[in-house]
Amino acid sequence: MDWSQVLEFSEAEVIAIGLSLKVATWAVAVSLPFGVVAALLLARGRFFGRNALDVLVHLPLILPPVVTGYVLLLLFGRHGPLGQLFEHAIGLVFAFRWTGAALASGVMGFPLLVRAIRLSIEAVDPRLEEAAGTLGAGPVWVFFTVTLPLILPGVIAGTILAFARSLGEFGATITFVSNIPGETQTLPTAIYVFTQVPGGDAGALRLTLVSVVISVAALAISEFVARRASRRVFGT
Amino acid sequence: MLTTARRGVAVMLVMLLAASASPAHAQTGDALIFAAASLKNALDEVAAQYRKDTGKAVKISYGASSALAKQIEAGAPADIFISADLDWMDYVAQRHLIVSDTRKNILGNRLVLVAPKDDPVEVRVVPNFPLAGLLKGGKLAMADTSAVPAGKYGKAALEKLDVWPSVSGSIAQGENVRAALALVSRKEAPFGIVYQTDAAADANVRIAGVFPEDTHPPIIYPIARVADSKNPDAARLLAYIEAPKAAPAFEQQGFTILK
Repeated sequence: MDWSQVLEFSEAEVIAIGLSLKVATWAVAVSLPFGVVAALLLARGRFFGRNALDVLVHLPLILPPVVTGYVLLLLFGRHGPLGQLFEHAIGLVFAFRWTGAALASGVMGFPLLVRAIRLSIEAVDPRLEEAAGTLGAGPVWVFFTVTLPLILPGVIAGTILAFARSLGEFGATITFVSNIPGETQTLPTAIYVFTQVPGGDAGALRLTLVSVVISVAALAISEFVARRASRRVFGT
Repeated sequence: MLTTARRGVAVMLVMLLAASASPAHAQTGDALIFAAASLKNALDEVAAQYRKDTGKAVKISYGASSALAKQIEAGAPADIFISADLDWMDYVAQRHLIVSDTRKNILGNRLVLVAPKDDPVEVRVVPNFPLAGLLKGGKLAMADTSAVPAGKYGKAALEKLDVWPSVSGSIAQGENVRAALALVSRKEAPFGIVYQTDAAADANVRIAGVFPEDTHPPIIYPIARVADSKNPDAARLLAYIEAPKAAPAFEQQGFTILK
């Protein structure tokens, strides 16, 4: 391997890195509100269908990723019911677009997000919220001023986990939106492609290093932020 | 009032979202070719020439022709499709997914048996040739034999030569021909069946034997414009790929230009 070439990034590699970051960011940003709601429902809710929701949320974690990707293709593809609905209602196309890659990543990271937030919610002493209630705060206000700050370390941990999962998402992505440079060729897909190109080992190694660096950075930032938030909330 | 931590997270999120709004959008408007994996080196070269001549960038998604045809059927936004066999072009043609009068057979290829470059073995590919013995317990790397063109040609050839029954249990199937090539290149498989153009592209393999052309259907690469293509450059790009100017890039890899 020619070491002088090792750190020269080709245009395709830079595009793959940028696309991965973009897809992961949008995946996590959009799934966060849903994650918080789902975690609240699962932690506190007592309603018909709660167990079904629990199973549904955890499905992407235990199903083979290719299966999740295939189901997404059936539902959100160009000829799928939800895909057509989104396309005709708001002009949003998922099939073979980065939006589809973000959807796949969001779905795959969702169980991790919900689990982390739910654990945090279950650790909150409900009497704190009740106390706020007796002082005149409505439930929404209580949520934003009492509950949310208390669960913030869990939310952050879940967000980072989902982000990292999203960066590494391959099976569902390649099944649902395949491998189109600039649209759906994310880091893992690009690495996979490089392993099939004669002489592509240098590129595969470069991108692998980038993945590792981004993941380590994400973990370090999450540790830092979670600890700061924790200190503010709990004083330790 | 935001704490430092929350402010930091908010800033990062805004930056990432802002950054994501711009770069990849420069790519929309480029023509998109779905091409058989074996075309990688040659077609990249043609695309680079096209970019130099016209200033337009071209996006190419390489894969098994079977996978690409299915993606086009599912609505993938390809402008041009180049398949490694006629079956998969027929598949999309039957579903009215291509513009039939743009369909043309442009390239030919040969099927070869490859081995890692350090293995000096020479194999005469004749009926009943002792491939199972030569594998010595290792795997024969091929593209998926039920769907991918290179795998289908390979299986047809082995069946014609009466060798298939003895090796069918020792096949390592890759999702496309380049995956099979990579296995031999890394010495994970002692032999593989790929196109002669793949062997030319990888310095770590050498051709150990050549399959006679009458052992398999003729290897023909058809090209066509995809029916749903909305890119105004697609027709010009198609003509460029078919033009004599692009021929050297293909011939250099070992493709034959079909008239």
